[in-house]
Amino acid sequence: MTAAAVPIPDHLRRASGRERRAVVDRSMRIVTLACTVIAIIPLVALLAFVTINGVAALNVDLITKPPRALGIGGGAVTAITGSIQMVALATLIAVPVGLSAGVYVSELAGHRTAGVIRFAADVLVGIPSILVGVFVFTFLVLPFKQYNAFAGSVALAVIMVPVIMRTTEEILKLVPGDLREASLALGIRRWRTVLSVAVRVGWPGILTGIMLAVARAAGETAPLIMTALGSRLLNIGDFGRPMDALPLFIYQNARQPYPALNEQAWGAAFLLLLAVLVINILVRARSLRGTSR
Amino acid sequence: MSISRTSRVTGLSLAAALLAAACSTGGATTAPSAAPAGPIDSPTGSPASGGAAIAVPTPPSAAITLQGAGATFPAPLYQSWFDAYGGLYPNLKIDYQAVGSGAGIKAITQQTVDFGASDAPMKDADIAALPSGTTVLHIPTALGAVVVIYNLAGVATLNLDAQNVADIFLGTITNWNDPKIAANNPGVTLPDKPVLVVHRSDGSGTTNAFTSYLSAVSTDWSTKVGKGTDVKWPTGIGAKGNDGVAGGVQQNDGAVGYVELNYATQAKIPAANLKNADGAFVAASTAGVTAAANAAAASFPADNRQAPIINGPGADTYPIASYTYLLVFQDQKDAAKAQALVAFIAWALTDGQAAEEGLGYAPLPAAVQQKALATLHTVTTGGSPVWP
Repeated sequence: MTAAAVPIPDHLRRASGRERRAVVDRSMRIVTLACTVIAIIPLVALLAFVTINGVAALNVDLITKPPRALGIGGGAVTAITGSIQMVALATLIAVPVGLSAGVYVSELAGHRTAGVIRFAADVLVGIPSILVGVFVFTFLVLPFKQYNAFAGSVALAVIMVPVIMRTTEEILKLVPGDLREASLALGIRRWRTVLSVAVRVGWPGILTGIMLAVARAAGETAPLIMTALGSRLLNIGDFGRPMDALPLFIYQNARQPYPALNEQAWGAAFLLLLAVLVINILVRARSLRGTSR
Repeated sequence: MSISRTSRVTGLSLAAALLAAACSTGGATTAPSAAPAGPIDSPTGSPASGGAAIAVPTPPSAAITLQGAGATFPAPLYQSWFDAYGGLYPNLKIDYQAVGSGAGIKAITQQTVDFGASDAPMKDADIAALPSGTTVLHIPTALGAVVVIYNLAGVATLNLDAQNVADIFLGTITNWNDPKIAANNPGVTLPDKPVLVVHRSDGSGTTNAFTSYLSAVSTDWSTKVGKGTDVKWPTGIGAKGNDGVAGGVQQNDGAVGYVELNYATQAKIPAANLKNADGAFVAASTAGVTAAANAAAASFPADNRQAPIINGPGADTYPIASYTYLLVFQDQKDAAKAQALVAFIAWALTDGQAAEEGLGYAPLPAAVQQKALATLHTVTTGGSPVWP
């Protein structure tokens, strides 16, 4: 009705222009969809590849026996136990540090200080992990003239700390300021407010950050090459000696011309993938529960 | 919100890392069959059969762990030795990580291991970098060869003379039907296909032996490129490790590369027959390598630092052979470890040699074996010999 009153500009009126826009719109939809598919293909292909090859390589020997020459009759128990031990110790080191740092940046530090620390943590996340290994090597391996699992755990912890710190901070930022103010208004001290209100409310999210850091550490190869070195001997609890880890085991065995060793690498890759997937799924389940609350 | 985004990104980067691992596995495996590697001649504990058995020392009875690291090429052999020796003396555990020759030299220099291992002998600069007052002994354990692998459908055997190999890797031969290659392959239909050179991108003892060969046979190569563990390649694509080169060759029709003999044997990749100094085309084999080593045994240097053996005389001699070494300090700090180390190496140099050929390694010539054992006798602890 009013359309007649308002003159429509020529370029909008032309049917061909509208059609062109429709075509452009449709084709861009297709392009973005195609790109999404391309982005997902590696993940799907990887899961399928590792699962198919890995499941075929699974057997009792793989999870109960130490490596043997040429892979005949050997397994990856050294790598499995080594990964669990080193990641566990790394978590013990990284959680208190990362958590405290995250709380400090979010709750206590001034604007400028927080910015500087945040920037430093982001830089640390982006540092190639091999450099972390070299760094730890110079002060935990060289002086003792001995590759050791403790150095490996420290290197993994260095990688975990910024991840935990940044997620802790992000989560605490999401905790409503009203809660803190209410707590302070009731005369509760600041440290108590931080611990019992902010951290308490954000705890599911903080735990998520810790698990992500664990998943990241479990998959790292480079920081371990120059620290824990890897080992073919079963090492339970002796952090003063070299220790194997799943990524190291995969790296070593995948490069050999012996099919038995390649198979063990597939089996180990599957176990590692499974562990990382389980952690990621737990994280996802947790964060879903967190949002529904 | 921010949580889920982080988790997705982390998941993908982990996936990418795993994909890289998965790909290299795929490249290394020719046939993804479940069949285990062929039967191995497991070394037995019995004294060397036939001839005069050499009396070797035994390790101490206390529980001892020796740590080693270094070359990748002899790792399967060494690990077979450790397993066999551990069967004889369960109290002695030997750990070895295949970190590469360069890293092995570095590890022994920094004293982070009890023994190192390297395919190329230490250079003078490496020896100068040792802690002052220490000497590192080179103990040869086995020989390997570098083979030229290729991927040409329908070409079962390929003969190459030294000039062919140099021209291919210089980039002056660019097609497989080049008359210079055809001249060495009468009766073989060479395809009209461009040559794709695949070389190592990482420093390697294999590259050192191969470029030593190219430098010896081609003045063009020695003036333009030279030899070493890492050189500036005139043509081709780089790949990491024997597995990377093997994968690069297997995945590209018309590709050519070079890997260790035992790698090609185990992965069942066709290798060219190379023309030796006597004018015969020889397939790479442990016998051809032993022949090369025997011919050069008389000139084996006093410090055991033998350069790659290139174009040795003899009709059966394979033209590119090189020793691989264990590196040990001459004066050992820990007496018990020293006794264990010397006992193990003495066993490896005698009984252990029987395992070599089954695994694709050439055993030491008798003369070099004697020199290696003599070197082992010079190991001391606290000033007195470990094995008098």
